[in-house]
Amino acid sequence: MRLSVDVSAREDIPPWLAYGAPVFTVIAALVVGSVTLVAVGVNPLAAYVDMFVVTATQPFGILQTLTKAIPLVLAGLAVYLPLRANLWNIGAQGQIYLGAIVGTWVGINVDGGAFTIPLLLVGAAVGGGLWGAVPGWLRAVYGVNEIITTLMMTFIATLFTNYLVRGPMQGGSGNFPQSASLPQAAQLPFIVGPLHVGIVVALLLTVAVWVLIKRTRLGYEIVFTGSNPDAAEQAGMDRARIYFTVLVLGGALAGLAGVVEIAGIQYRLRPGFSPGYGFTAIPIALLGRNGALQVLVASLFFALVFVGGSTITVNYGVPASIVSIIQALIILFLITAEFVKQYSVSLGIERAAAGASVGEGA
Amino acid sequence: MSPTIIWPRLTGSVVSSVAADPDAFLELRGITKRFPGVVANDGVDLTLRRGEIHGLLGENGAGKSTLMKVLYGLYTADEGEVVLRGEFLRLHSPQDAIEHGIGMVHQHFKLIPRLSVVENVALGEREPAAQFRGRGGLVGRLGRAFSLGLAGPRQRIRDLSAEYGLDVDPDATVLELDVGQQQRVEILKALYRDVDLLILDEPTAVLTPQEAERLFETLEQLTDQGLTVIFISHKLNEVTAITDRVTVLRDGRKIATVETADVTRAELAEMMVGREVLFSLEREPVPVGDEVLAVRGLHADNDRGVEALAGVDLTVHAGEIVGVAGVSGNGQKELAECLVGLRRSTAGSIRVLGDDVTGRPPRHFVDVGISYVPDDRYRFGCAPALSVRDNAAMKDYRQPRFGEHGLIDYGAMVAYAESLVEDFDIRGVTDVEAVHAGDLSGGNLQKLILARELDREPKVLVANKPTRGVDIGAIEYIRERLLEKRTDGTGTVLISEELDEIFELSDRILVLYEGEFVLETTPDATNQDEVGLAMTGVRPEDAADAVEPAAGGGSA
Repeated sequence: MRLSVDVSAREDIPPWLAYGAPVFTVIAALVVGSVTLVAVGVNPLAAYVDMFVVTATQPFGILQTLTKAIPLVLAGLAVYLPLRANLWNIGAQGQIYLGAIVGTWVGINVDGGAFTIPLLLVGAAVGGGLWGAVPGWLRAVYGVNEIITTLMMTFIATLFTNYLVRGPMQGGSGNFPQSASLPQAAQLPFIVGPLHVGIVVALLLTVAVWVLIKRTRLGYEIVFTGSNPDAAEQAGMDRARIYFTVLVLGGALAGLAGVVEIAGIQYRLRPGFSPGYGFTAIPIALLGRNGALQVLVASLFFALVFVGGSTITVNYGVPASIVSIIQALIILFLITAEFVKQYSVSLGIERAAAGASVGEGA
Repeated sequence: MSPTIIWPRLTGSVVSSVAADPDAFLELRGITKRFPGVVANDGVDLTLRRGEIHGLLGENGAGKSTLMKVLYGLYTADEGEVVLRGEFLRLHSPQDAIEHGIGMVHQHFKLIPRLSVVENVALGEREPAAQFRGRGGLVGRLGRAFSLGLAGPRQRIRDLSAEYGLDVDPDATVLELDVGQQQRVEILKALYRDVDLLILDEPTAVLTPQEAERLFETLEQLTDQGLTVIFISHKLNEVTAITDRVTVLRDGRKIATVETADVTRAELAEMMVGREVLFSLEREPVPVGDEVLAVRGLHADNDRGVEALAGVDLTVHAGEIVGVAGVSGNGQKELAECLVGLRRSTAGSIRVLGDDVTGRPPRHFVDVGISYVPDDRYRFGCAPALSVRDNAAMKDYRQPRFGEHGLIDYGAMVAYAESLVEDFDIRGVTDVEAVHAGDLSGGNLQKLILARELDREPKVLVANKPTRGVDIGAIEYIRERLLEKRTDGTGTVLISEELDEIFELSDRILVLYEGEFVLETTPDATNQDEVGLAMTGVRPEDAADAVEPAAGGGSA
């Protein structure tokens, strides 16, 4: 008996597979995840119904999900835009911190009246953009790998935040590592329940990024450069300028993700205010790599997984780490879905005598 | 066209040899090989006689390589049989093929550059060193297991070289050898394994005309000794020059096997393409216009920082095609890249229509009206993963007709791409937005690139090997279009290794050797031999009095 595994690239991706693959893989992830739930004595079916169906149908769950999605959309776009130029912005997390630092500082120290919020948004975008500009410049001019530099810049940003909230920006009552609270004028107003106007910012920027990529000359250049930088250069596109631009814009989007989280929900800068939004943004951008609207959908799904996850922690007393395991499985399986879409994998078991021919591709 | 013979399918128990051709020693019967979406070989029969040179002719994608890979054990056929002297063969690997006396020289040599000739030839056929032979005990066993005896193989290589006139030093390191010599090492590798049949896959693709001539002599010596040679090619002049019989494949099917002496090149071309092919293009005299490109004293380095262009002067006028002949690696790539702004020159100047463009970015070269057909079309010519639409507008997307105020009017771009597909007869494009450039066949992709570059009404066209690796039908088309642009007043720099192409299209010929032009002439004032020699560094004045050219012209 011999077992053969044949992996070959698909020539055409059938439509049912293109759209169905994420659904099947999420279900597969949930099936595997149910093992952990059974292990702690929880009925997985009931838990999953609560996690997804109940969360996504009840007003409170929906509002929670939308609110949670705001930083994820912005951070997702921050990874998505450079990805179109085939650059990996692994450091959205650091750009989020910079946006939060600058935004918080503006909110506390600048009294712009009605313009306080726009000022703080612009400040955050500039802060995040500068944080993206350093790797962008290094990549454009010296060809330094942006995966490494963006990640390194993240360490600098998080440690810098730790320093600020214990030093120059430390504020509020007591000696906690946090900034002073934002004044009322610097807090994002609510629309309904917990949902703040950050959602408007996120939606507007999704549309803006869509227009940039799909309708503008710069977008055409970004996509072309991302697809084949040598041909792009031959055609007269300025590769360095494009690399710099996408990382600056990506940084600015991430900076906004940081400030809406502070000015919309937390009102203070704390060292751990972003629970890995910048890193969750990477699978979001991978799933939504075909367009800004897909990034939006992927962000909503991830927000649902986070909110639904907290629901079952509360309802069933499931340890938070098990919810993390399920979330991680979903991300892992979704990434495999990309592979399954691109390649057909077939397992063959042959019970044949020696000498049987096995087709081989060279 | 001869009728295709359908062989009776032999079933398991009946094992008899049915030989229609009394001289046949190897037969392929009804070979069918399918790949997802394509039938690469569709019931192909091929009969080989002992001692013949058998040409296998067909366009790219006709199924030549697939058929030979089946014969060499690299692919297993879905249907059909290989019969050698009445024996049915099961070939699962090249090892099986070699054991049955079938050898192959691949287009890209499979040699280890750092090893010597004898080490390369003996690779996989190790003999223990002589001093351990017959020695007992642990030392003897270890010695036999791990030592390498090269004395025997060395002598065998000397004998074979002498017998077949191959002339290779067994102790030379492969990386010191020129391409022609490396090819002879590949042939030696096969002979060393006692093959009766030698398959050569496009053997002349990498050779200069002189080296090719040398190869043909070797092949004749091989067949005189009783070997059979399969010569794969899409070059008609070579096939008609050296083969005894030719089998033509088209779209995976065998069209015919003919005696070479009985057919003309035109007939072979028609069998290959399926329609009549024009051989000599009409090249009307075009009045030479103003100077469009002036290059003076150009120096440039290659990617490794070594000087590749050592002071090149080049002038091109409107309505003129200047052919740059040379063997790859003598500075052609660097010259082309300098002329389109992709490579910075280290000295010298480039002027287009009198404007100094030296050192400007590629975009400036595009804007002043230089078009470029790169030799590596997948790397520099297109973005294979993007649509035909995006690739069609790659050079002109900044023009107002494709949108103003920084926006792009994709509707206009689609219409433009469709017009190019229509005008240049680019096949395989059902939808310019859905079909990717990389999905097109080599010839059609080259047509798309050419369409884009020519439609811009360029002042100067730099075409580096524009017909490399494309089908004969597309070659004809591309050459016609280049001549058409010449009539329109474009000044063209045509870089090519194909002397036929250079002679057919050029008004003037320059030969590039080691970064310098060693010969400037016109097609009427010279011949292919003189240009071919100049490509190996022999200047006409040297050739006249030197019988043995000093520079490596293929002889060792």
